[in-house]
Amino acid sequence: MSARVNWLGLATIALALALWESALRAGLAQYQNLPTPSAIARGLEEIVANGQLLVDAAHTLRSVLVGWSAAVVIGVVVGLLLGASTTLRRYSLASIEVLRPMPGIAFAPVALLLFGFSLEMELMVIVLPALWPVLINTMAAVMDVHVRLFEVGRTFRLSRSEIMRKIMLPAALPGVLVGARLSMTLALVLAVVAEMVGNPAGLGYAVVREQQAMRPELVFAYVVAIGALGMILNAVLTGAVAVLFPAASGLLREAT
Amino acid sequence: MVGRVLKQLQWMRTSLPAIRGLLPLILLLLVWQLVQSGPSPYFPAPSQWWAATVTLFNREHLLLAFGATTLTFLKGLALAIASGTALGMLVGVSERAARALHPLLEFMRAIPPPVTVPVASLLIGYNESMKLTVVVLSALWPILLNATSAVRQIDPLLLDVARSFRMTPIERMRRIVFPAIVPSLLIGIRIAIPLAIVVTLLVEMLTSLPGIGALMIRSQRNFQSSEVYALLVLVGLFGFVVNDLFAVVEGMIMRRWPPRA
Repeated sequence: MSARVNWLGLATIALALALWESALRAGLAQYQNLPTPSAIARGLEEIVANGQLLVDAAHTLRSVLVGWSAAVVIGVVVGLLLGASTTLRRYSLASIEVLRPMPGIAFAPVALLLFGFSLEMELMVIVLPALWPVLINTMAAVMDVHVRLFEVGRTFRLSRSEIMRKIMLPAALPGVLVGARLSMTLALVLAVVAEMVGNPAGLGYAVVREQQAMRPELVFAYVVAIGALGMILNAVLTGAVAVLFPAASGLLREAT
Repeated sequence: MVGRVLKQLQWMRTSLPAIRGLLPLILLLLVWQLVQSGPSPYFPAPSQWWAATVTLFNREHLLLAFGATTLTFLKGLALAIASGTALGMLVGVSERAARALHPLLEFMRAIPPPVTVPVASLLIGYNESMKLTVVVLSALWPILLNATSAVRQIDPLLLDVARSFRMTPIERMRRIVFPAIVPSLLIGIRIAIPLAIVVTLLVEMLTSLPGIGALMIRSQRNFQSSEVYALLVLVGLFGFVVNDLFAVVEGMIMRRWPPRA
């Protein structure tokens, strides 16, 4: 994580784009629907100018944030409970292990059945699979808390909720953050999937829409926009963690 | 007699934990069945799911659809592993190449894999090779990037040893580099597997190429709710089995190439 700009890397990207552009212009590579980078740039300009990109990105961003927050809250609460209680773990861990590998997209048809083409459908597809990384990492972090810390808590005659709040939660924080970051990436992927097969709104739907309208340059423009959104979300999350929890951010960097 | 009872107790002690852990799931299904025991457009009873599975099996060649999905998934994953490992090793060996390509590769990884489906439909059209392309492109990046960074982290001493033994580049790759990156490769593959499954199903849903994804979306469009739930369970089982099988393979590989402490 050096602050230095990787000029070499940027130059490589520029070179790749230049090759792509010139190969197509010179007619060396012939793909019916492959736009040149300059056409993609004009496409980006077009959707920025007519405001379509903003509308689509705002929808996807909102779904991702709502779904992700719900997944984090549920995951942390259940993860804390499971981490703290051996009995609970004994009576539910196997169920979780059965449900967890379920591919997120499999929920899409069920969500469509239940909610139709709607935001609720999209949220269901986001929340259920995005839950697991937070839940598992929180639980594992709590289980790793040293027994002595609990003994200290008991010596100070802390109540159960105080132990939860003052000892377990801070100790579990790095795990929570790692899980939250993983599930953010997952939430964006799932939002795009849900918009492609279900809820006709947002960036995922836009890609399919422009593909069916045979506007390759707009398809690629939206793909670039989605990639950028992913990188921005990740950078914002990492930055926020570094500011809010400076102690935990080093651990986060190590873990991911 | 006593021996048999003891044996039975032994059996209960070893198998109880698994069953105990499944209790919430079993209870949920039981309550579901009791509350809603008939067909329903939204929450059909679990017994109806089973009936739907039997129907699908008899009428829709469920096994063929499953075969098509599994084959796409496995082929795509295998190609992604092979090309990701090879490319990752090549990129990682040279520090300059690694630095030059890093931002480009990171951007490719940041693009959510499902997006490749419409792009590939545009460029390749609706056919088998498009299906395979999108799965490979989705599973490739985690494997490639993990391989690259693992190669960068190899102890320079090891490479010096290779040099003093005058190993050829191919020998060096095979004897030093590859064994050193196996643990990271496995992590990359574990990340790639769910992505590959999701994209396989998605491409079937969006293009109606034969497979489980296409069956799911058709059942949903025909409002065959019990079929949708039946397929959800089957896909869940598929994910579970793939996950478990990979854990077994991972264990075997780790024993063959143990990570260096």
